[in-house]
Order: sequence, then C-alpha cells, then structure tokens
Amino acid sequence: MAKTYDYLFKLLLIGDSGVGKTSILFRFSEDAFNISFISTIGIDFKIRTIDLDGKKVKLQIWDTAGQERFRTITTAYYRGSMGIMLVYDVTNEKSFENIKNWIRNIEENASADVEKMILGNKCDLDSKRQVSKERGEQLAVEYQIKFVETSAKDSLNVEYAFYTLARDIKAKMEKKQEASNPPGARGGTHQLKSNDQQRKPPSWLSRCSIL
Amino acid sequence: MSDADIKDAVENEYVEDGSNKLLVKCKFCGSKILERKSGKFVRKEIDLPLMEQDKRVEAKVQYEKIYQFFFVENMYTFENIGFTHTIDNCKYLSCADCDAGPVGYYDMDTKHSYVALSRVKHE
Repeated sequence: MAKTYDYLFKLLLIGDSGVGKTSILFRFSEDAFNISFISTIGIDFKIRTIDLDGKKVKLQIWDTAGQERFRTITTAYYRGSMGIMLVYDVTNEKSFENIKNWIRNIEENASADVEKMILGNKCDLDSKRQVSKERGEQLAVEYQIKFVETSAKDSLNVEYAFYTLARDIKAKMEKKQEASNPPGARGGTHQLKSNDQQRKPPSWLSRCSIL
Repeated sequence: MSDADIKDAVENEYVEDGSNKLLVKCKFCGSKILERKSGKFVRKEIDLPLMEQDKRVEAKVQYEKIYQFFFVENMYTFENIGFTHTIDNCKYLSCADCDAGPVGYYDMDTKHSYVALSRVKHE
C-alpha cells in the first residue's frame, strides 16, 4: 500500500521515576470501566497522527518508564529518536535538578541533533509546588530548549507540547533538506524526502523486538 | 438468525472489496484508529482478553473468542493507536485517546496488527 503520511517522528519521554511520564502517554481514567486489562499491562508506545501545516505527521511516542531506575536510558532506546520530552515534576525538587543529568545522558547517547523540550508536569498541584515556573524557564534558557508547564491530569498543554516538538523537528528537517539541495531543485527535494522516509522506519523498527 | 448469518451481516456492512468500508474508531471516545480502506478483512480465531475484566475473578484474565479482524501490515498505517508492553510475543492494541482495549493485537514476529471488528465502531 502507498505510504499515507509525509513525516514519521519517533519521540521519547524521559525523566525521573514518578514525574508522570506514563500519565502523559496513558490517560486512562479509572471510572470509565470496571478494571482495564490495558492498565494492568501498561502502554509501551503510541502512534498519533497530527496535521502540521497541511502535512500528515505520524508521531511514535515512547514511554521510558521502568528504564529510569538504571539512571540512564540505554542507547537502544535513543536510537532513531528525533525528539525528546524531558519531564520533571514541579512538586519534586530532585526531579528538576536531575534534568541536567538527563540532558547529559542524552548528549552521550542520543543523536546530536535530537530536538528537546522540557516539561514541568503536575502544575495542577500548586499547593505542593517546589519548583517555580521561573526556574523552569531559566533552565530552558540555559540549555536553549523550549519549556512548558503541563498537567497530564487536566490534559493541560500536553497536546501543545507534542505539536511544538513535532513542528520543531519538521522545521529542522526541512532546513536540512534545503541545505542539501540547491534552491532551484524543488522537485528533487521531494524525492529525497520520500526515499529518506522509506529507509528510516525499518532501521529502528527492526530493533523493536529486542527492546 | 444463526451465528453464521450474523457474521455475514457484519461483513456485508463493514467490508467492501476486502477491506474496511468505513472509518474505524474507538467505541468509547470516537478517536480515529484507521482510515477507510486501510485494513484488510481476515477471518481468524483468536482469544482476546475482555475489555472489562471482572474484578471478582482475581489474578485470572478473562478471554473471548474473536473471529473477524482487519489486518494492518504496517503499524504506521494506524491513525491513532496504543501498543501495550509485550506479553507472550504479542502487544495488545488500545485506543490512543482513552486507552480502552484491547481492540486487537500486534504479532511481534510478523510485525502485523489485527483489529477486532467487534471491538471498534464503524462510521
């Protein structure tokens, strides 16, 4: 069957245990059913299709929950990832301080040009807050990474964050394509893009089974 | 109406030229799972865990037999879908928006997905 999308981006959720990475990916509400078979097993990843400026973009979003107890995420998880959400919990100072360690881990293991974004999650729990929004913003400025506070519980800014990260990846890719193609050869740009995509998915898909 | 008649009726309503005639959506929240004509109809007998597990039957997963599926060769054909962690070489499929499921399963060996016709809404 013909390919039905323009871009495919692999995204990762990274951060300390308990910051709400799983809640960002998994929005199951307990009152919806008796007890869900799915919630007992847990979600590994999701595929979402979004529209970005008329382009159909597939996002494959991975939760790294359970991996973080090893303090680092293995290279296998990073392989092929084009965007990373760095998540901390605004009610947990330590998780915020650890963002720097996670950034170091990314620099050591992930592709150098991976897009990053910092999420200060659980911003609905204002009475328990330990990390101000300003400190989150400062950290983001320091690393030149985009930042937003989110509440997975209230679905606040979660969608916005994924759209923003996806848009930044897309912009970066288009810039690269333009750089590698002379401005006059627009037709060539398209062809290169489709070849590129056909090659990319299997490269890490084939490794899916060993994860 | 016999079971066979019911099966035929389902197929006539939801299958056209061997694939899904209508959009495949989540039964509960309407999240779009498959575009029209993107899943191939197949008959297959599979035990799939029930979407709602009875809490009183502890530590035992309850299953039902499912016979009709839309086969999806490439996972990126899906519009929105969740994949669970792997159990017995298989991942279960769930709604990407409300996490209801399993709406089908994914075979780790073949990398093929199967969406159960009875677990989704056809529109």
